[in-house]
Amino acid sequence: MRHRWTLCAILAMSLLLPGLAGAQDALVVYSSVDEENAKKLLDAFTKATGVKVRFTFLSSGPAVARIEAEKNNPQADVWYGAPSENHVVLREKGLSQPYVSPGARDLAAKFKDPEGYWTSFYMNPLGFASNSKTLEQKKVEPPASWADLLKPEFKGQVQAPSPQTSGTGYNMVAALVIVMGEDKAFDYLKRLNPSIQTYTQSGTAPSKAAAIGQAGVGIQFTPAFLQLIEEGYPLKITFPKEGVGFEAPAISILKGAPHPDLAKRLVDWSISLPGQAVLTDEKTYFFPVHPKAKLAKGLPSFGEIPTINYDATWAGKEKKRLVDRWINEVLRAPK
Amino acid sequence: MGTHSVARWWTQSARDLRRLRDEPLLLIAVIAIFALLLLFILYPLARVLIVSLFPEGAFSPRLYREFLGSWFIRQAFLNSILMGILTAVGGTIVGFLFAYTLTRTNVPGKSLLTLAAILPIISPPFVSALAIILLFGNNGLITRQLLGFQEFAIYGLRGLLLAQIFTFFPVAYLTLRGVLESLGGTLEDAAMNLGATRWKAFRRVTLPLCLPGIASALLVLFIESIADFGNPLILGGSGFPVLSVQVYLQVTGMYDLPGGAALAVILLVPSVTTFLVQRYWVSRKQYVTVTGKPARAVIRAVSPAMQRVLLAACLAVTLFVLLFYATILVGAFSRTWGVDHTPTLRNFGYVFGVGAQAIQDTLIIAVTSSPLAGLLGMAIAFLLIRRRFPGRQAMEFISILNFAVPGTVIGIGYILAFNQRPLLLTGTAIILITNFLFRYIPVGIQSGMAGLRQIDPAIEEAATNLGASTQVTFRRITLPMLVPAFFSGLVFSFVRAMTAISAAIFLVSADWNLMTVQILSQTEAGRLGAAAAFSVLLILIILLAIGIIRLVLGQLFEYRYQAAFG
Repeated sequence: MRHRWTLCAILAMSLLLPGLAGAQDALVVYSSVDEENAKKLLDAFTKATGVKVRFTFLSSGPAVARIEAEKNNPQADVWYGAPSENHVVLREKGLSQPYVSPGARDLAAKFKDPEGYWTSFYMNPLGFASNSKTLEQKKVEPPASWADLLKPEFKGQVQAPSPQTSGTGYNMVAALVIVMGEDKAFDYLKRLNPSIQTYTQSGTAPSKAAAIGQAGVGIQFTPAFLQLIEEGYPLKITFPKEGVGFEAPAISILKGAPHPDLAKRLVDWSISLPGQAVLTDEKTYFFPVHPKAKLAKGLPSFGEIPTINYDATWAGKEKKRLVDRWINEVLRAPK
Repeated sequence: MGTHSVARWWTQSARDLRRLRDEPLLLIAVIAIFALLLLFILYPLARVLIVSLFPEGAFSPRLYREFLGSWFIRQAFLNSILMGILTAVGGTIVGFLFAYTLTRTNVPGKSLLTLAAILPIISPPFVSALAIILLFGNNGLITRQLLGFQEFAIYGLRGLLLAQIFTFFPVAYLTLRGVLESLGGTLEDAAMNLGATRWKAFRRVTLPLCLPGIASALLVLFIESIADFGNPLILGGSGFPVLSVQVYLQVTGMYDLPGGAALAVILLVPSVTTFLVQRYWVSRKQYVTVTGKPARAVIRAVSPAMQRVLLAACLAVTLFVLLFYATILVGAFSRTWGVDHTPTLRNFGYVFGVGAQAIQDTLIIAVTSSPLAGLLGMAIAFLLIRRRFPGRQAMEFISILNFAVPGTVIGIGYILAFNQRPLLLTGTAIILITNFLFRYIPVGIQSGMAGLRQIDPAIEEAATNLGASTQVTFRRITLPMLVPAFFSGLVFSFVRAMTAISAAIFLVSADWNLMTVQILSQTEAGRLGAAAAFSVLLILIILLAIGIIRLVLGQLFEYRYQAAFG
């Protein structure tokens, strides 16, 4: 009997040992880009530069919470991905450090922090995805504008992410405020309530609900739509003609990063032409930010999408107030 | 407190202390367990509490004032309580139905029913909610195709309750099964021999004897369902806010760590209150029924007609469970889940390509943490019920505390607590293992205590009188009799280590990743087939592991419990 227990203990210890081994000298990345795309992009980076990368997938909320909790002893070098307004928050919390990459001068102002605290390396527009089967049954055309969503045919058919929980949802509200003006935007959102089946907590839930026919229309950023279409789901993408926002996922170098030099090389490479080409070559469904980068076939050119001049810094600063207003006016309003 | 009771308390404590001195091993065990509980449960929670009370570095109850004054948070609080009560009652009823049918009748198809009763404990995060939407949603197989509803509102209390009862009834089943099994059927036999009707035997013998178990089940379900955020996150939607989700959102959506911590503290109030009420009530109703080996179950306690009713009810739930898993299985093997069901192995090829490392890591962590959780749980249950020592109540309280805390908060507490020397654990497997270990011992402790309350201490006393120490008595006498309770503790912690995500998401690292985080990543990216394939793999591993655990336990303790777990 005693031997069995000793054996168990030894077994447990030997399993634990690998965890006790020291960390290798590699760039440590907290990635909010989904696992597969992050792997494609970072593998290409390693291949191009020889820098080894170890990455962990964390969606944007857990990533910030974790970086904040670890601030006295940072475990990671960079936060990779998640829309730039989240990086504005990171900067305001004093959790990142500036680095102006030489390549950043080629990028439009909306894709970089003026002092180099964050640099965007791809972008995605917000769009509508309609389940073509559901809409055919109901004999309804896919919505072509925000106003279309108010039509009675869409009653209880629309899913959108909640701005309270998801960066995507907030992006939608902030973009509407920019397009319509604040009071009109909230008035619109109140009138939209009957059409809303539910506001989802996750930013990518609406596309799945639309894919399986739970909802007629899902509102979110386009890459998951394109992935679902690739998987064979009957989705049709449209963009509201009044204008939509976009996300521009960015990289921040964390304050106290153990390997700042390796981190800088990731920033440099990600916005370089070869780095931007990987977005297209590896079928990430992400739009490049470099004006000269090549665009994928099948992806509409960014110029054809009615994107607005979305200001991530403004959006980041106004977040708490606008979300509170949304909770108190839109969520509380009767359906 | 009068002088008299102070004096009594003093002599009592002095006697307890003397007992500790006489038994050094007990003393060491008590001290070691306290040290572990303080370090891995209280310390991280204290860090969270401090963050909530010192939001800007200086003391301020501002956050609490703000939240308690907000209509939205008050609504979320009430919703949590409502959902918790309904889930606890519904889940315990379904759990009791299965436990009773499986221990007190000889209906056919018992192994199928057993499978259905434990399977839902394995509900892979996110994919489960998708499956429920596919079955019960607007376009759902059951709601639309079978029942012909045009619009079925799955978002809100109704859909959520369905998912919560489905997810949590196995916990009640495992607890109640252990209790009903160790009760044996002899007492019911005796009652009926003395002329009681079946109904009277059930009402006056079975039910009262099960009360501690039922109370435990209600407590565990209430606490677990109000702390859980997986189902409400997806099915609650924005129309039915609950507090656990708000905690998560405050931290991850608003980037407000102190605010999330304050909400978590508010959420702790009902959990802790429930716990205290249950303790006060159950501690008054203790029954000793096992005086030797558990007796064989009798069958005649249930009339043939009643057996058929029970079987029908169980089968209805079973059908539901099987449909649920079939939905996920179909998803894993289809080209496009929900649309094009042409069979393919593509999803599995993908999973083994991208996820091999995560599968290995998950296994190592679950295999390490669950036996430790099982043993520690039984050891604590044994100390709490059978030994007197100062601080016993405190030990019980602390050891169950983590159960009531939302995973998000524990995860953050762990990073805050273990990210600096000399307690630098972030990025290692140890932080994941300790998190699972201390998060899921309460179930082992609860079922261990419920089981122990029914085993006559005389058996253990006999061993002690014959010269066995506390540790030998525990290992050779108590543990073998507690095998069913130990089993449920083990299975539960293994399953949770494989499927949990709320705390783990803050603790995974580049070296140690988990399958659940993969499932999350794949669902977010829109690769639903891959997410389903991951889930199927997860379920297979868990089923295999449960089989192995049963085999090993049987070997280790030379204990035969025929058909005890299917």
